[in-house]
Amino acid sequence: MRRVLAGRVGVVSVAVLAVIALLAAFGPLLAPHDPLLQDPRAILAGPSAQHWLGTDNLGRDVLSRLLAGSTLSLVAGVEAVAVGLVLGVVPALLSVHLGRVVEWVSLRVMETFVTLPFLVFAVAMTALLGNGLQQAMLAVGILIAPGFYRVTRAAALPVATAQYVEAAVLAGASPWTVLRRHVWPKVVPAVAVSTASLLGASLVIVSSLTFLGIGITPPTPTWGGMLATDLQYLYQRPFGPFVPAALIVATVGACNGLADALRDGPSRRPARRKVVADVAAST
Amino acid sequence: MARPRTLLRLAALAAAAAVALAGCGAGAGSASGSTLKWGFSLPTSWDPVTSSTGNDINTISLVYASLTQLDEKATAIPGLARSWDYNADGTAVTFHLRPGLTFTDGTPLDADAVKQSLLRGKTQQNSLLKDQLATISDITTSGDLDVTLHLAAPDYQVPNLLAGKTGEIVSPAAFTKDAAAIPTAPVGAGPFKFESFVPESKAVLVKNPGYWNADAIKIDRLELTPTTDPATVIAAVQSGALDVSFIPGNQIPQAKAAGLEVDVIDSMQVNQVDVNSTLEPLTDRRVVDALKYAIDREQIIDVINGGVGDAVSQPFPKGYVAYDPSLDTAFAYDPAKARQMLADAGYAPGQLSLTVTVNALSQATAELVQQQLQAVGVNATIKVVPPGSSTWQQEVYLGRKAQFALDGTVGRESPVQNLMVVYGSQGLMNTSKVATPEFLAALDAVRRTPLDAPNYPQVLQAAVRAGVQMSPSFSLGTQPRVAVRSKKVSPLPHFLSQYRWEGVTVGSPS
Repeated sequence: MRRVLAGRVGVVSVAVLAVIALLAAFGPLLAPHDPLLQDPRAILAGPSAQHWLGTDNLGRDVLSRLLAGSTLSLVAGVEAVAVGLVLGVVPALLSVHLGRVVEWVSLRVMETFVTLPFLVFAVAMTALLGNGLQQAMLAVGILIAPGFYRVTRAAALPVATAQYVEAAVLAGASPWTVLRRHVWPKVVPAVAVSTASLLGASLVIVSSLTFLGIGITPPTPTWGGMLATDLQYLYQRPFGPFVPAALIVATVGACNGLADALRDGPSRRPARRKVVADVAAST
Repeated sequence: MARPRTLLRLAALAAAAAVALAGCGAGAGSASGSTLKWGFSLPTSWDPVTSSTGNDINTISLVYASLTQLDEKATAIPGLARSWDYNADGTAVTFHLRPGLTFTDGTPLDADAVKQSLLRGKTQQNSLLKDQLATISDITTSGDLDVTLHLAAPDYQVPNLLAGKTGEIVSPAAFTKDAAAIPTAPVGAGPFKFESFVPESKAVLVKNPGYWNADAIKIDRLELTPTTDPATVIAAVQSGALDVSFIPGNQIPQAKAAGLEVDVIDSMQVNQVDVNSTLEPLTDRRVVDALKYAIDREQIIDVINGGVGDAVSQPFPKGYVAYDPSLDTAFAYDPAKARQMLADAGYAPGQLSLTVTVNALSQATAELVQQQLQAVGVNATIKVVPPGSSTWQQEVYLGRKAQFALDGTVGRESPVQNLMVVYGSQGLMNTSKVATPEFLAALDAVRRTPLDAPNYPQVLQAAVRAGVQMSPSFSLGTQPRVAVRSKKVSPLPHFLSQYRWEGVTVGSPS
């Protein structure tokens, strides 16, 4: 964490994510109005003292809906990443340590997942299992699992053939012990970078799905759903789509920034010192 | 030195000639200034026999003419047939065709062509017109211009029935050669000749000089493109990418502010709630009637349609012959009465739960209705059916799984046809599939009453009353067409039944 916070990108990303996390945790409590309460006499109203961000097409307070929607939007993204982590990391580690059959099967399954088109698969899953957020996130989790699988497997393969691991196996260490004590610590940094990066990606997918009305039951507010509604009333409330869009962009950008900071944090500073040292030596 | 100067003069002359030719080109362009770019929707099929939505009538009638057509008030008037007459008992109707008619492929449009075209609708395996044409038991011709339809039972609605897709005549030469080609390469005798079609993208039509009413068509070329996003329509018309399109009622102020013209055209489209009274808790008629009183139709029109449309309790718009003014106050919004009726049925506030089924485009209406139902103590959840007409059919029409579905009828050429769809025992929108003998008898009385009989409106309105009182489903309000057009396009004529282009001109922007 110290290394992440050492760079400006990392600090800004963590700060943005912290604010978003606070919104997700306490947003519904901070909402000034009932996010579902309609006021048909005040539809598509501009910002006012009563409604800071105006009202939507049914006269609901936009600020309250954004705050209430932040929880669901973020939790959905986290849920999808959690599914992807389990379905990607576990088979990747097992494929390295449980022999060729497991390796072959897991590779083929992941290759199959990669060929599935995101939206079509998510629509099919919700049609099959019902139009709910859990079902949609299960679909998203399945689809991002190959990303975790590849990264984890790439990080675990060199470790599995390292001499100290072979020594541990010869010394009688169980596969579980080898995984836990020798492989997992080497894989964690790569998985952490992927988690941050795929969290951003899954937030975009969640927003896309809710934009299309998949995974949510009206009138539940989500950022993607609000964006879709606001775009229909672009002429009446031209600024309407910008607020949910800005929140999505900020969150995804912060996730990607965090991923960059996690990736670059350990290596960038020594690299810079070396350049400075080389320059000093040449002068 | 003289040589370069000569070359310079030649070059100047060539440039002047080029400018002059370009000017001629512009002149030709202004002649083709009668090109109209219409943003609407492409038909599901250019073949009236396989077209699967009522909305297609607006587009496929560009290339086909029908035996009769509907006037502004949706009354049958001559089309390809200049007149018609019934036999004494109403079991046969003879249409007298206009002389000298031809299809755009040059083949004559005579009595035999009409017979063949109608028979194809009755017999082709994938025909979607079979039900409408079931009333016709036989077709005979007499000479080139007279075609007689023999009916299974007295039915004076046939001239209405044949004013739409059902009566659109397709070139027998074309469908005999390759019927499978008609959905993408139609051959008719309508106001326009089909020129090209790129599915999901564009159709180009040119004026058909052989159309029986060609003098009324002032547009030389019509380009039809689908509009997928209502938010972009005003910008598209403003920029000239489209000349005419349609917008939701709540965008009228923005369209006018953008300097565009708006025509609000009354239509036959009426929004409705399909209530399936075979599903609990809607088997209790008191609950069903309570729901009718719980819905504030005016609020829906104001909030969703920007105040465009009329709240109605019947499946017809004001001004149409079937519209019964005595139903104006039927099921008027009365939440107190709704609460009382639910209490009488044994439901305390919050005890009754209901699912409101809606398509993705009408989600806002469902959310408004949900709040109105909550106001009378009904817990409503919304089920959004994914886009696609087949999914709606599986959920609502064929599957009949929806308790309370937000739906709508685009209307039919014959009011009897529309009543059958909405209230008939096998009607698509009658998800309960129940019709009383009183309603069916009233409908039969309409069929047996000539359209020009003095008592026709009363007989027809009596059938409408019977349907409204019988049905668990109920109407919400009309949905006028809101056309937005560039200033260079003259006002669109107001036809209840469909978009029509007679008399519409395209000139320079004023």
